[in-house]
Formats: sequence, C-alpha cells, structure tokens
Amino acid sequence: MIQPQATLHESYPDTHHDIYSKTVFGFWVYLVTDFMLFASLFAAYIVLRNNTFGGPSSKDIFELTSATTQSVILLTSSLTSGLAGAFAHRKNKQMTILLFALTFLLGIVFTWMELKDLTHLIQGGNSWQRSAFLSMVFTVIGTHALHMFFALLWLIALIIPVCIEGVSSISIRRLTCLKMFWQFLNMVWIFIFTIVYFT
Amino acid sequence: MIDRHHGWNISFKPVILGFILSLVLIAAMHRIAIRHHLEGTLFLLTVFGLAAAQAIIQLVFFFQVGLESKPRWSLVTFLFMVLVIFVIIGGSIWIMDNLNYNVMPPMGH
Repeated sequence: MIQPQATLHESYPDTHHDIYSKTVFGFWVYLVTDFMLFASLFAAYIVLRNNTFGGPSSKDIFELTSATTQSVILLTSSLTSGLAGAFAHRKNKQMTILLFALTFLLGIVFTWMELKDLTHLIQGGNSWQRSAFLSMVFTVIGTHALHMFFALLWLIALIIPVCIEGVSSISIRRLTCLKMFWQFLNMVWIFIFTIVYFT
Repeated sequence: MIDRHHGWNISFKPVILGFILSLVLIAAMHRIAIRHHLEGTLFLLTVFGLAAAQAIIQLVFFFQVGLESKPRWSLVTFLFMVLVIFVIIGGSIWIMDNLNYNVMPPMGH
C-alpha cells in the first residue's frame, strides 16, 4: 500500500475514508445497542431460570458437549470472517470469496445445530409453553438464531456483487460491517453458552 | 501493521491470535464443567471470569476496542453500554431476588 503523505492527507481530507470510518463507527453503535437487547434477555433468563413449574430444568435438557461443539464452530466461522475481511481490504477477490463461503458453511452448520436443539425440546413435549424457564430458553436462543439467519442472508447479498465485479471500495465497507456483525454474534454466543448452558 | 486507511482490519495476526486464545478459554470452560473441579459459587465465578476474559480478548483482537486513536468514541460508547448492562442485569437480579424472598410463601423442602 502506498501511503499518502501525512500533510497532504490532513489538508485535503479523504472523503472516501471519512465515509468508511463513519460507517464502521455507526455500525459499532448499532452492535452496542443490539448487545443491550441481548443483555435484557439475559437478565430475564437469569431471573426466570428456576421457574420450571415442575418441568425440566437447565440441567435436564442441555448437553454440554454439543454446546461446546457449537461454540467452536461459531468461533471458527468468526476467524474465517475476520480473515476474509482482511483479504477484502487487500482486494484479493479469490480469497475473500473462498473465506466468506467457508464462513457461510460454518454458519449454516451452527444455525442448524442451534435449531435442532430447539426442535428436540419441542418434540420432547418441552416447548416454550411448558414453563417460564423454557420460554426464556426459546427467546434467548431463538433471537440469536434469528440474527444468524439474517447474517447468512446478508452474506449472500454481499458476496454476489464481489463475485461479479471484484472487491470495490463500497464492498470493502459493507463486508467490514458484515464481518463485525458476525464476530458480534460470536461474542453474544459466548454469553449464551455461559449463562444458559452453565448456570 | 496499522494501515492509515484500513486500520487493523487489514492485518491477519490479531484475528488468528484472538482465535487461538478464545479456543483455549472454551476448552478450559468445558473441562471445568466436565471434570467438576469446582463447586457452587466458585464454579460460577470461574466460568463467568473465563467468559469475560474471552469477551475482552475478542473485543481487543477482533474489534480493536481501546486501540483507536483519540478521540476514542468507540470506547466511550462501549463503556456506556457496559454501564447500562450493569444497571439492567444487576438491577433485575437484585430486585427480583428480593421480590421472591418477600412475596413467595415459605416452601416446604
């Protein structure tokens, strides 16, 4: 990368870079508010976790090994999305597409496992109507799965233009936001993993 | 490598390092839960400590929180979020525990 001279850079502001940093900051503020949404769900879960109404408690329905596997899968997809973002900044089209495709596959596997857990609960007669505890389990995990679903759709929508016309400066900005969203979902999952599966 | 235009987003090293450290912490949490090394409050404190450590590692290595140049608006918004979350979660647990204690009739154990 050839750096513009610092004095030139400051006397003639780079409007393109301004848009980039403002977009990234604005998206960061969105992520922060989204985390507050999840935090209020965690608060409700912690308050209601013992209200099982004679139904199963968290020790009866959760399998730790499956949850750890999900964590590792999502963490790996967070790694591939981070690497894909770095390749996008280097305008490397092939590696960007390859790593985002890998992120997509890992995301599909993770979301499938997440939804499989919930369908198993429903099939066992323990749906969200069973107890306040199960309502919160479905709300917390369901909200995360919904975020994953939209992240997967967003990934498809962003990677198609990259396949057609390569990595443009606009797609770098959008892919950086997507990468941040993906890593944010991984961070939220750490807390779901800890609060729902461990307490 | 900090690029003036792309910041830390162009670099591979922090992403890989953050991944490895997070993986170690997940393995530690799993092991503690499986082997029953710790009990009760100590177990909860350790598990939440490991989760918080993992969150901080990812905030620094993936989101570069605190590494930006002044004015640090991302850090300020983040710290405000921490304050709000502390009020929401801490306040809910505090109030609801007291409510349960004061309202629920004594249950036979």
